[in-house]
Amino acid sequence: MTTVPQQRPTGWRKRDKWWAAAFLGPQVGGLLVFLVFPLGFAVVLSFMQWDGLTEASWVGFDNFRAQFADPEFGHAIWNTAKLGLITVPVGLGLALLIAVALNSVRGKTIYRVVYFLPVVTSSVAVAVMWKSILASGDYGILNNTAHDLFGVTLPDWLNSEQWVMVSVAVVTIWSSLGLNVVIFLAGLQTIPPQLMEAGRIDGASPARLFRSITLPMISPTLFFTMVVSVISSLQAFESVYILANPAHNDGARTIVYQVYDLGFKQFRFGLSSAAALILLVLTVAVTLIQFGAQKRFVHYEE
Amino acid sequence: MRKKVIAVLALVLAATAACTGSKGDGTSADGKVTIRWATWGTPEDLALMDEFSKDFMKRHPNIVLKLESVPDYENYHPKLLTQLTSKTAPDVFYVGDDNVGKFVAAGVLAPLNDKLASADSQSKPEDFFEGLYGGAKKDGKIYGVPNDCNPEVLWFDKKALAEAGITEDPAKLHESGQWTMAKYLEMNAKLKAAGKAGSIFWNWYGSTYSMISGFGGKVYDGGKFVATTDPKSRAALQTLAKGYQDKTFLSADNLPEGQGASTQFIKHQAGFYAGGRWVVDSLQKGGKENLANYDIVPFPSQTGSPMAGAVAASYLSLNKDTAHPKEAFIFLSEFVSAQGQAIRLKSGGAVPSIKGAENLVTSAGYPAHAKTFLDVRDTGFANYPEEVAVPKLTAEINDLLMKVWTGKVGFDEGMTQLQTLVSGKVG
Amino acid sequence: MTAVAIQRPPRRRVPAGRIVLHTVLILGGLTMLFPFVWMVLTSFKSDQQMLLNPQEVLPEPWRAENYSDALTAAPFARAFWNSFYIAAITVTGTLITSAMAAYAFARIRFRGRGLLFGVFLATQMVPAQVTIVPLYLMMSKLGWVDTHLALIIPAMVNPFAVFLLRQFILAVPAELEDAGRIDGAGHWTIFWRIVLPNIRPGLGALGIIVFLGSWNSFFFPLIFLNTTELFTVPMLIAQFVGQHDLTSYGLVMAANVVTVVPMLIAFLIGQRRIINSLASSGLGGR
Repeated sequence: MTTVPQQRPTGWRKRDKWWAAAFLGPQVGGLLVFLVFPLGFAVVLSFMQWDGLTEASWVGFDNFRAQFADPEFGHAIWNTAKLGLITVPVGLGLALLIAVALNSVRGKTIYRVVYFLPVVTSSVAVAVMWKSILASGDYGILNNTAHDLFGVTLPDWLNSEQWVMVSVAVVTIWSSLGLNVVIFLAGLQTIPPQLMEAGRIDGASPARLFRSITLPMISPTLFFTMVVSVISSLQAFESVYILANPAHNDGARTIVYQVYDLGFKQFRFGLSSAAALILLVLTVAVTLIQFGAQKRFVHYEE
Repeated sequence: MRKKVIAVLALVLAATAACTGSKGDGTSADGKVTIRWATWGTPEDLALMDEFSKDFMKRHPNIVLKLESVPDYENYHPKLLTQLTSKTAPDVFYVGDDNVGKFVAAGVLAPLNDKLASADSQSKPEDFFEGLYGGAKKDGKIYGVPNDCNPEVLWFDKKALAEAGITEDPAKLHESGQWTMAKYLEMNAKLKAAGKAGSIFWNWYGSTYSMISGFGGKVYDGGKFVATTDPKSRAALQTLAKGYQDKTFLSADNLPEGQGASTQFIKHQAGFYAGGRWVVDSLQKGGKENLANYDIVPFPSQTGSPMAGAVAASYLSLNKDTAHPKEAFIFLSEFVSAQGQAIRLKSGGAVPSIKGAENLVTSAGYPAHAKTFLDVRDTGFANYPEEVAVPKLTAEINDLLMKVWTGKVGFDEGMTQLQTLVSGKVG
Repeated sequence: MTAVAIQRPPRRRVPAGRIVLHTVLILGGLTMLFPFVWMVLTSFKSDQQMLLNPQEVLPEPWRAENYSDALTAAPFARAFWNSFYIAAITVTGTLITSAMAAYAFARIRFRGRGLLFGVFLATQMVPAQVTIVPLYLMMSKLGWVDTHLALIIPAMVNPFAVFLLRQFILAVPAELEDAGRIDGAGHWTIFWRIVLPNIRPGLGALGIIVFLGSWNSFFFPLIFLNTTELFTVPMLIAQFVGQHDLTSYGLVMAANVVTVVPMLIAFLIGQRRIINSLASSGLGGR
């Protein structure tokens, strides 16, 4: 990231901290009230037993121990990981592929519009649409057609333990693809044409050009979208909650669903907070690892 | 640019001012009292509630009713819990039979005995069937009044039965005292042999405990969970497990979306379907001409004489912290009164929980033996207080049983786990 | 054969690669469109037709009543207005406050700046579900439960927005500001007159993202709103999905179409600006 030359008259310096306070005030104030305070509340709760209605009692690290011993929490972590492992590489890979293809054809606009449509569609509406497609049996057009035309019986996408996360991943990719394509397209357009031309004159194959020029040049964009997608897949909740049936299908249980289930369904807010804090630590760790790896893979122009 | 921004800001302020209504204890300057009450429901359900509200406010000009609805059952209790935690819950609210025990234990519901017994109450405690109180009654204190109910019966499809070569009519057998478990299981076997499903059950206490009761077994005895130790109960569970595994029984929860229980039943792919009066709504989607194929019968018993079956219920409760207990109770008692239930239930969906509104069910003329709903209700039982006192216990029992039904856990192993699960959480 | 080839005039031929490319893109595009098409078709079907096996593609007959039924069953116009103005105010508030904070992080030197920025980024990772209970307690103390303020104000706190705008401000040439400073302009003037106009693409992109986030939000409105008149669009659709196992798909889909179409039209009208501003932001670390 860029550094800014700092050559300011010294008189400025003195008043600066007041200016900083004024400029930061609204966001920092809001952050303290709406994020830091609730987080502190959760930290305290994670050491307590509380049903939301009666007196809370102190239980030390029991909640954390209970979560680590809970097989459902294990499921939740595995399912969440599965979702991330599909949506991030496949989703970003597809988006990049489409962006590269779009970058070299005419008639971009119509494609861009089509790919972007799902982005402006609300997640509840998306879920309703996809449910009618993925339902197995008579209503689900996908399985119905496969059965009638090819005599194949496809799995029950949304109710089977093995397939539900794959289905959620497909829908997640579908609905976020457009945004990533647009972002990548923008990244691609910043690559100087001379660079590609020079490569071509040297006789490099398209695959080679992609690997040696395109990829390094858009690696900062790729990195940013990756960090964002990883965080959002670690926090997946609405997608499974609306689309699948995590209450009855262990295969659809994500970590945030576990947090919700423990707190609001089972009235065990201590356990719920403990699960949430474990998730927070996990998210921070994964993000830090990505930032660490960034130095090796991301190419920043000076 | 600055002017534009200022204009936008002004709009923001105006709009925020507009959407922050006055708050308070619900008493306005003209002496009107606002009673907030909450339920879940589809737009159609809510339209009927609205009709009741309008009628009520006409009769009580000093009370303004404010309905706060949540789209579905799944989201209702989480929200109610949040509101109770922060002491902002409505004055009167619905509670589902699977959550009522916990709210009773936490002491957030007002006891209603004295109020119900008072002169201005529209309904008395004994107007409601004893078995329906379930977890809403504790140590003789009533914490919620059943607002309506859904007795679990067996719907049967005459066409499917005929196609399987079954000539006897279950409802007629029941009338002559010959509707036995043996007969029922025999019919299921014939349906299976004809390439159909015998019965479809939802995996919930209503079906499971009705079967246990049909075998003459008990689920709880003296506060102890005995479903795995009572030999009759165990036999019932074993029959269910075996039936699920050889596909004589289907679990509606596991049926693919779109190939759901009602769909299969409408298409004559199953002989029996366990459910309440709400099944009528589903059957209607199959077209009017098809309706005549269906009728209802209670769950069978070992001897053929009627036995107690399960009834799904929900309760209307009074918030202990309400600022207007008097007005809130007037609403509550009218809502659950025979007259109130008549308005709400006129399009079907459920069965009145109060004595004296029977004609609502029988006058609809469908199904032919609609009276069976009333019979099951009169002697039936809501989910056990022991079970509903632990949040989510019922759900956990069902989840474990589902593993037994699908064969993921062996029967004996499953029973051991079930016993450990329940006795670990029930007193 | 070869002779003919040689005689062909040397005009540009369409490369095979291009055809493959378009085929792939078109197939991909159809995959993107299919759920929408299916939604519209289903919205005209009757319950009986949904029960047929095999499923028919076209509605028979076309049942427009699904639409009138859906529209009369729930207050859509009201919900649209609610969703719209909540989103609009959230966007305005987020843009102003986060641009200010971003300016401070990018252009004002103060002690602990790096640390504070780190904390900002980390709070982005707190799962929202864990904040519900304390947030609800706070909102009820403020008297904001069952008002749209409960949705608008917390949504304005947006570390991601601050991060994004900071990147944009860093890219504004410092010479511009220095020139302003020599003319005696203070931070506020520089921010308002020089920085903001120069980060318009960033503001546009962020505005769209925040708008969509607010428009689509389901869970928080569900918890915070009680009064039907205050409901937002996603809550109305949720109401249509039935309680029992036999959902009236035609009706649900009609309701769905009613909620999706206005957004699609708005998008189609403004698509060039929307996509361009998202694109020009690059949203990257550059």
